[in-house]
Amino acid sequence: MTVFHFFNCAILTFGPHAVYYSATPLSEYDTLGTSIKAAVVYLATALVKLICLATFLKVSESDSFDPYQEFLKALIGFIDVAGLYFALTQLTHRNISQNHKFQAVGLGWAFADSVLHRLAPLWVGARGLEFTWDYILQGLEANANLVLSISLAALGSLMWLRKNKPKTLIPIIYLSAGIVATMPSITRSFSDSLRYLRRGLGWHFPKVVGFELFTSLVMAFISWQLFAACQRPSV
Amino acid sequence: MVMAPRKHREREMLFDSVIALVFILVACVDLCDGATVVDVYRLIQYDMSGVPFGSRLASLNHHAASLHFSPHTDLSRTVLLIPLRELNMSFVKEYIAESKPLGGLIFLLPRLFSFENKDGKGSNNRDVSTEPLRNVLAELEQILIHANLPYPVYFAFEDDNIDAVLADIKKNDVTGQPATATTGGYKFVVSAAEPRKVVSPPITNIQGWLAGLKTDDDAHQLPTIAIVASYDTFGAAPALSVGSDSNGSGIVALLEVARLFSLLYSNPKTRGQYNLLFGLTSGGPYNYNGTRKWLRSFDQRLRESIDYAICLDSIGSWENELWIHVSKPPENAFIKKIVEDFSSVAEELGFKVNLKHKKINISNPRVAWEHEQFSRLRVTAATLSELSTAPELLEKAGGLVDSRHFVNEATIVRSVKLIAESLARHIYGHQGKNIQIFAENTNLAVNPSYVRSWLDVLSQTPRVAPFLSKDDPFVMALKKELEDHTDEVNLHRDVLEGVFTFYDSTRAKLNIYQVASVTFDLLLLLVLGSYLIVLFSFLVITTRGLDDLISLFRRPPSRKVKTA
Repeated sequence: MTVFHFFNCAILTFGPHAVYYSATPLSEYDTLGTSIKAAVVYLATALVKLICLATFLKVSESDSFDPYQEFLKALIGFIDVAGLYFALTQLTHRNISQNHKFQAVGLGWAFADSVLHRLAPLWVGARGLEFTWDYILQGLEANANLVLSISLAALGSLMWLRKNKPKTLIPIIYLSAGIVATMPSITRSFSDSLRYLRRGLGWHFPKVVGFELFTSLVMAFISWQLFAACQRPSV
Repeated sequence: MVMAPRKHREREMLFDSVIALVFILVACVDLCDGATVVDVYRLIQYDMSGVPFGSRLASLNHHAASLHFSPHTDLSRTVLLIPLRELNMSFVKEYIAESKPLGGLIFLLPRLFSFENKDGKGSNNRDVSTEPLRNVLAELEQILIHANLPYPVYFAFEDDNIDAVLADIKKNDVTGQPATATTGGYKFVVSAAEPRKVVSPPITNIQGWLAGLKTDDDAHQLPTIAIVASYDTFGAAPALSVGSDSNGSGIVALLEVARLFSLLYSNPKTRGQYNLLFGLTSGGPYNYNGTRKWLRSFDQRLRESIDYAICLDSIGSWENELWIHVSKPPENAFIKKIVEDFSSVAEELGFKVNLKHKKINISNPRVAWEHEQFSRLRVTAATLSELSTAPELLEKAGGLVDSRHFVNEATIVRSVKLIAESLARHIYGHQGKNIQIFAENTNLAVNPSYVRSWLDVLSQTPRVAPFLSKDDPFVMALKKELEDHTDEVNLHRDVLEGVFTFYDSTRAKLNIYQVASVTFDLLLLLVLGSYLIVLFSFLVITTRGLDDLISLFRRPPSRKVKTA
């Protein structure tokens, strides 16, 4: 029965990645290699991030909110962007179009993130007898993260790979890329620091996840529009 | 041409997921971290002459229900959580007498009976509101002790967590759906090993000796007075049998009397011409088995030198009447003297001491009072107790009901005064004179704080003999205390013999899990499945167009044949 619950949560957490891969043209062009490469880059980036966190952050004994520490955390979060840059531009991919490349990279990125951050808690927690909503919410969070990752990869490919884009859109692209890039650190620090958020803002886990889902959808829409707008002149 | 590689890919993914599934099933490690963990205390499990009694199981893993379960439901896989306040005696009798199948029983006791209950202790025991609860609990305890229950039975104390759980369960039950695997609710889990027999349970008697003043060389001829109290308990839950009154009060009184006389005996001028023998005996609930062994270990001369023995039993919650129980006829000279001493002192202190004579039936194995073990060996003895009639076997032996809350230290102080003063009159020969040796505001006064602190310690220490190890800290503490007050302290060790066999595992941790029902999981699966299908369709339409999606479903028969 609890294994059943585990499967439900696993489907919610990892299902969308598989569906995305099989439903979009990604599967037709066999871009799995690209996704795997992106995932490996993600793992390396995560390692670098961990080392940075361990080096520059001090362990706070109290639960108090330290703005400097939080800022540092957000800054380290931007290492992700560097990793994504590397995955998008430096890696040699098989001859696939930019259109599919960013999707494959974003997908691999999000999947690696889900495996790294959600599989272990799910494995340990969701099989226990105790029922909580946490793992279902965590699955929803994984969905939001998938959307965000692909949006970020889309914006990244616009920034770094596309040469002839409309001049007026450039600041908007950079702005939304910045917002999307900071989003994980914001929400992660939210969920990491639920302890004081619960007291401070009075935000609970469901609200955080709802916020994440909402912003990810909004950002996805914006990036989609930007992408389409950049596509137009070339067509 | 486009479809072929995808099919291949799909098969690969399927294969991967099968491998993952196998790994998941193989590495199934049970992690027990429930939302709520409660200390629970198991009903005693013992055999009497090979006949099983008590709760015969320790481990528990069932859904919970309250007393509001709908009738005619099968409860063989359900734990009933029953608060003592709502206990229906007829229900218990029905279930136990007809030995109906149950998954388990958990009784919730009010905090009043907890030995951690600090507030309101000693507030006079005749509390009207708690009296019915006490009676119910006493009745329940006797029923449970004498029943053979093939399922686990535990006791727990009310607290906020478990009260909330109980309220939830009740709400669930009232809606008419008892919690089973299909409706969700709470699951109670106690993971405990199978109870094992306690092999040769030890009993330890502690004796202290205060030697009298030798006038000449004939010290051997000095008579001896023995003061005896049995210190172990028996109750429905061994880990909760602290026995504040029975016989915590007796132990406290004995220790205080020893302290007072050690003060007197330390000065040669006030040293009496009697030896004093203090005995803390074990095995009290089992026909005073330990007392018997202890007496038999005595030297013949010592046994003959005992003038009389005073046994103390339950002297902590009486109002104005105490009883002296004897088994020799009241005309006996020694008995007469004892009773005279006690009743004259009692009169001065403002209460009454009555004499009760009960003959010993040698053929009956039941020994109701401790003094009967002395009498069987022809030693004059009497028991001082607040009980007017002898309790039955395993009754009033310091069980669940006997908590600190119902014992008043002022009462014990009065008892101590009575005992000490009467003994002093006998020892120093002041009979008939109104002399108070242990008057208040002297250095020989009874010390209430000493009485209180020992009573508090005893009221937090479960003392069921088979579960006290040979060198239990509690036994050592008693020994040390007697060493402080008497000259010579010996431990007499033996093995509890007789018809009793005990089983261990007296306390455990109860994990309470809130579990979801199977229907919820199925529903969730349905929702997730449709979500993924919608997502799939949405993605196909947006990236490849509607026609592509329709084309996926246009040739279902051929697809099925291929995958099969």
